This record gives sequence, structure tokens and C-alpha cells, in this order.
Amino acid sequence: MMSEGQPTIFEENEPAATGSLVSDAPVAAAGRPEHLDAFWDAIDDELAALPANPEFTVAPLQTNEHATVYTVRMTSLDRYPIAAWFSVPKGEGPFPALVTAPAYASVVVPAHYDQRRRFVTMTMMTRGQRGADRPYAAAYPGHLTNGIGSPDTYVFRGVMADMLRAFEVLRDHPAVDRERIGVVGTDAGLLLAARRPGIRAVQVASTFWYRLAEMAAGTEAYPCEEINDYLRAHPDDRDAVGRTLAFLDPQYQAGRVTASVQISRDQERGTANDAWLAGLVGSLKGDVAYYDVTHEGQTDHDALDAWISAQLGVEPAPRSWQAEEIGPWR
Amino acid sequence: MTTRGRADQYQCSVTRPPDVDQFWEQVQAELDGIPLDPEMTPVPMRSTDEVEVFEIHYTSLDNVRIAGWYCRPRESYIAGPYPGLSIVPGYVSEPTLPKSWAKMGYAAIGVAPRGKLRSNSQFNPGYPGLLINRIIDRNTYSYRGFYADALRAIDFLVGLDEVDSSRVGVHGSSQGGALTIVSAALRPDIVTCGAAGAPYLTVFMDSAELTHSYPYEEMNEYFRLYPERKEQARRELAYFDCLNLAAWVKAPMLIYAGLCDDVCPPETAFALKEALPGEVTFHAYERCGHDAGNYWEMRNVEAFLAKHLQPANADLHAQMTVG
Repeated sequence: MMSEGQPTIFEENEPAATGSLVSDAPVAAAGRPEHLDAFWDAIDDELAALPANPEFTVAPLQTNEHATVYTVRMTSLDRYPIAAWFSVPKGEGPFPALVTAPAYASVVVPAHYDQRRRFVTMTMMTRGQRGADRPYAAAYPGHLTNGIGSPDTYVFRGVMADMLRAFEVLRDHPAVDRERIGVVGTDAGLLLAARRPGIRAVQVASTFWYRLAEMAAGTEAYPCEEINDYLRAHPDDRDAVGRTLAFLDPQYQAGRVTASVQISRDQERGTANDAWLAGLVGSLKGDVAYYDVTHEGQTDHDALDAWISAQLGVEPAPRSWQAEEIGPWR
Repeated sequence: MTTRGRADQYQCSVTRPPDVDQFWEQVQAELDGIPLDPEMTPVPMRSTDEVEVFEIHYTSLDNVRIAGWYCRPRESYIAGPYPGLSIVPGYVSEPTLPKSWAKMGYAAIGVAPRGKLRSNSQFNPGYPGLLINRIIDRNTYSYRGFYADALRAIDFLVGLDEVDSSRVGVHGSSQGGALTIVSAALRPDIVTCGAAGAPYLTVFMDSAELTHSYPYEEMNEYFRLYPERKEQARRELAYFDCLNLAAWVKAPMLIYAGLCDDVCPPETAFALKEALPGEVTFHAYERCGHDAGNYWEMRNVEAFLAKHLQPANADLHAQMTVG
């Protein structure tokens, strides 16, 4: 578990790196951890023993004619203070709810105006992110490998607990229609659905935790490169890193997910095509739909919005518009 | 689907303050009085056989200490001198390490202007918040210092022995696109070329009226609460509008945009293209949003920068730029 006062940047003065992981032996898939259930059950038990005591404060600047916006402060694992942006549409509830799974980023902003009009929304500030950066301020890069040598010391044990805790606060809010809760964002949403049954729909716009160790071995792009940096400095930790990340890999919890799931797919990308996704998709218990990305940002946005809106029974809110022909520009 | 008029025919409402030149000359005069005080600390853990990584710091306006990452090819991999490249960040993203650019042969800096992590101990308006922080006063508006921080990154680069100061480029998307324009406008005799995606901070007031997406939505929220401040903000923002700085740009520029960008309306990219006096390459992508077509455009960015800056390994590829 994370202790207070961890350094924000802990990698200084590490030994000089040699070699490139991409050409070294990749981190092997670790398989389903033997103690996976015990790991997650312990998180649930610790959370259950610690009240969230949410404190909702109206945010006048962000509140508008369509929705009231709040900041919520609450207590998570290790008595860590976390926060969230939370909004409730004006009018008679209860309303469908849309949760954004935490992304790997420092800044968390309120849900989009179009989402706030239609859903109860929550965007959560997990430990280390701005708004939840006392006592631990995450470093980017650095956060992804903080304590990665063991699942019990890995900072994302706490981050995942924060996600579960924030979700509980949303789920228990009287404005929320508990039959119509959806999760969007990364595949952390699958972990949430696995641990908190009753979520109707999960949309995975991109995977992050699924086969992360393998994905890192095939790229030099950040944030995956953080893992490669770490392994260059700590080559003896290669197996340990693979084991730690397996505890957070949604493929090993997919059998618990009964929500409808939509996963974005890209047959041209080796880490998003059918072969890559098979290990995840094959285990999910609910309906599974694919979305084939076009890479046209607004086309993709509108298609994803249409799916989650349909799942939760609200009108879609496309952001594309039709303009007169002014091309070709490419 | 809703309809909208042609982006290239939009008439924006920006006016140019008659004293905008003096305003920025004054900022420069203040900067001239503040030593850069550059620092470079090696970061061995993130360095490779090809690329050395450093954490850097320098001093900027109001004596705010600014952080960044600096990546350069190892001499054993590519011998110097190297073209310099400033990679400027988006609004909410933290600057990433420009290792992939260094592997291509650039001496590349990833700057963290004030308010970003590691540069926020003296100034931290929060997110959301940066865009509207002191929006009614050009002398204390957040972007006065923020722009200066980007300029000082250029100064940092050209002060390095290994950088060929006749080859210095700037690149970024969204806020990074705006800072690309700002850098080229306010360092016109240094910046050799710039590639700006989905340029933000351009035609501020019209943009806010055209969207409900952050960051411009911060302005809508602010003026909803304080409508009486709107006209004053309009006057002050004109000093920071990329449209009003564009006339000073001498370098060839690449501008790209999504024709359905709900974050930085494409109308403003077209207006910027028209305002730039020099050579402009302009690419717009149908059905693309704030991604600005980067799935296709990234290769154009690499080629454009390589044409003007001549890195040693132009056949390699950079990490995708996000705004």
C-alpha cells in the first residue's frame, strides 16, 4: 500500500541506462495471478471498513441552466482524500449516469457540456492527479511505475480503489437511476464493472491496462515508455513488473463483467486488432460490440456517443456538423 | 446533423490594438532584465543508447522558474550540431519527453510553461482556470507569462553549444499550436519554421461563442457569471490573440485543422492562415475534430520540419503529437 510522503519524482540518480527494451526480451505475459481475487477482495474489504463521507460543494462557475455542478471530496483507501467533478441535470430525476474511468493524465476537468445536460456525470480525481495531489503529487512521467515492483506497493492499487470508491458515491446518490449507469474511457472501466456489478454499459475507447507489459515492449512512446525506462534501470524486476501489471489486467476479471461492452478496434494496429483483443473479448459475459475506428475524430466521437446514449436511453449529442464543400485540402 | 457556414468565409470580430507592438516590446524589455539562469540535470533513467535526457530549468517573466525536458542525440549516435526544436504543450496535457524527435536528430525541448507540473510552485491557476485567470487585465493575464515561458524555451535552445541556431523549429497542437505561432511571431529572427495543429488562443471571443467544449467553455462559464466583464475581457484578450501576432511571423508555417473541431473552431484556423504574411501550408480534414487529422498529418509535420531543419535521421518517426 502507498505510504504518505512518497517522493514525487523518485527516479533521479538511477544508474545509466544501456540498451533498448524494444530489442531486449519483452516482458512475458504473466498469466492470471494466483492471488488475484484475494488482492481485489482486500481492497473491497478495506474500502468497506472506511466511510467515504462525501462532501458535495456547488461549483457556481460551472453550474448552468442545464445542470448543477459540484466538486466532491471523499475518503478512499489508506484514508487518502480524493475528489471528483459531479453534475446533476436540472429537472426531475432520477437520471442515467455517466462515469468517466480515470485516464493516465494529471488534469481532470468536468464532463462535457453535452454530457452534463443528459446524464449525472462524474469525472474523478484519483490519488496523485490534480485535485487529489496532497499528500502525493504524481509525476508524469513516473506515476506509472511508482511502486511497480509489487502489486501491494504499486500506486495503482490505490488508484483503482479510488475509482471504486468514487463510483460508490455516484451510485448511492439519489439523483442516479441505478439501472442506467454507464462507464466510458479506458479499460479501467472493465475493472470497475467487474468489481461493482449492476453497471449497464461499458465503453472502452482505448485499452490501457490490458496486456500493458506486452504493449510497452513494442513501443517507445510515452506513457508506455515509462515502463521501458524503469526496466532499463531495474532489469532484474522484469518478471515482477509483469506480475504486478497482471493484477490490473482486465482480461483476468472479464468473466465477472456482465455489462454490455463496446470496444474500439483498429485492424491496422497490432495492439488493437482482433488477434490482440481476443483474450479480453472472449471472456466477457455480456453483449460485446466492436467499433472500428476511422481516425476521423468527430466521426469517432459521434459514433461512440450514439452507442452509449442508446445503452442508457438518452438522445445522442453529435458534435459533427455539415459544412459546404471547401476541399480538397489533404 | 446540424449545418454551419463555410469556415473559410467566416468574418471574425477581432480588432488589433494600436499599441500591441509596444505591449510586447515592454514584455521583452522585462525579459531582457531577467537572467535566463539555465540549468540542465541529466536523467540517466530515461536516457537510451541514442538519446540523452535532461531535466531543465530556466527563469522567465516575474522571475518564475520554468521546467522542461531536453533530449539530444548522443554524440556517438549522431554528431552535432543539431537543429533545435521546441515542442510546446496542449492545455491540459503535461509535456512529454521529446525523445523520439531527438532520435531523429533534433535537439528537442519539451517545455512546461507556468502552471504545468514542475512549473507551478509560483503560479498555479488550476485546470479549469488558466484561460480565465485575470482575463480582464493584460498586464497580469496568465498568458502574458505563459507566452514568455515559451519564448524563453527558444532562448534556452539557441544558448546551447550543440544547437545550430540557424535551424530552430517549433511544433505543437491546440495550445501547442498557439504557442508555435507565438514563438514564431515574437522570435521572428530565430524561428526557422513552425508546424501548428488546431491553433488555440486565436479569435478568443468568437471561439467561445462557437463552442461548448473546454477550454473555451471556461470563458462561457465566466461570462455567464460576470457578463459585465465581457467587453473589458475582449479588449484585453486582443493583445494575446494569435491573429494579432501573426503579422510578425517571418518563417514558413504549416497549419492543420479539423473541419469539425468543436474545441478550436476551424473558422479561426482559416482566419489565422489569412493573417500569416509569409509562406503557409494549410491542411484541413473533413469529419475530423480536435485531432486535426493527425493520424494522417503527422507524416506531413515530420516532412515539413525535416525540409526546413534537416535532421540527420529524417526517415524515422516521432511520437504522435497531441494537443
